[in-house]
Amino acid sequence: MTIAGDQVAVEVMVDVAPAVAFEVFTDEIDRWWRRGIAYRASGRSAGVLTLEPRVGGRLFEEYEGPAGLRVHEAGTVTAWDPPGHLAFEWRGSNFAPGEVTYVEVTFALTESGRTRVRLVHRGFAALRPDHPVRHGAPVVEFIGRFATWWGALLRAYRDHAGGDG
Amino acid sequence: MTGPDATIDATFRALADPTRRGVIELLRTKPRRASDLADACSCSRPAMSRHLRVLRAGGLVVTSSEEDARERIYTLRPEPFRELRDWLEHVEKFWALQLDSFKQHVERTRGRRR
Repeated sequence: MTIAGDQVAVEVMVDVAPAVAFEVFTDEIDRWWRRGIAYRASGRSAGVLTLEPRVGGRLFEEYEGPAGLRVHEAGTVTAWDPPGHLAFEWRGSNFAPGEVTYVEVTFALTESGRTRVRLVHRGFAALRPDHPVRHGAPVVEFIGRFATWWGALLRAYRDHAGGDG
Repeated sequence: MTGPDATIDATFRALADPTRRGVIELLRTKPRRASDLADACSCSRPAMSRHLRVLRAGGLVVTSSEEDARERIYTLRPEPFRELRDWLEHVEKFWALQLDSFKQHVERTRGRRR
């Protein structure tokens, strides 16, 4: 589903080659992915985040919960094209079964020899509008809540509020 | 954080309907009377009245204080849209912080110029 505005895009420039950026982004995801309740399903407990390096591979987090080892699966890899392109599904920990959004990451060599990493998170418009909302949720779930966003609503918001700031 | 969240819930509820989204689109251009909105949306006045009640409850529109309900002017209220924008910025911030953390890690461990 492609609706204008149905996405969030963020970029960063890193001072390494694309192949290195791709490898570190994926293979070392647990080492750079921020820790804490706002970023991981495991919250404050020690969890390990893994991205399996192939199409169909899983992005998942393993951690020790009150009732033993738990696994939160955020999604599977849908595109694996090193060094330039990676895509995976993204499910917040409060998503209903079958609900999914999409994250796409590109690694592009720039003239300065650095790599521009661009991340696009999209697909919110395809989710059902009565998505459960959890008050006071940390940011991982906040993104889950963002899934209640409809394309039409986002368009309205962009048109209406985007002009003044 | 219950306050703003509750507002966002109400905003979503209010906008979970194509007619009400149409009303928002119409009010973006200028304030209008309920009867004008009903005509523009090709729906009955009682139906429009129900939609406007939901939009008012969600805080998306405000009305002038005419005693005659038919003469009330409906105006878009910008605050809920600002809250939605703030919410979107939270999501952007989540990924911006992640990529910043990635940049620090990759340049610390593999950077060519330090």
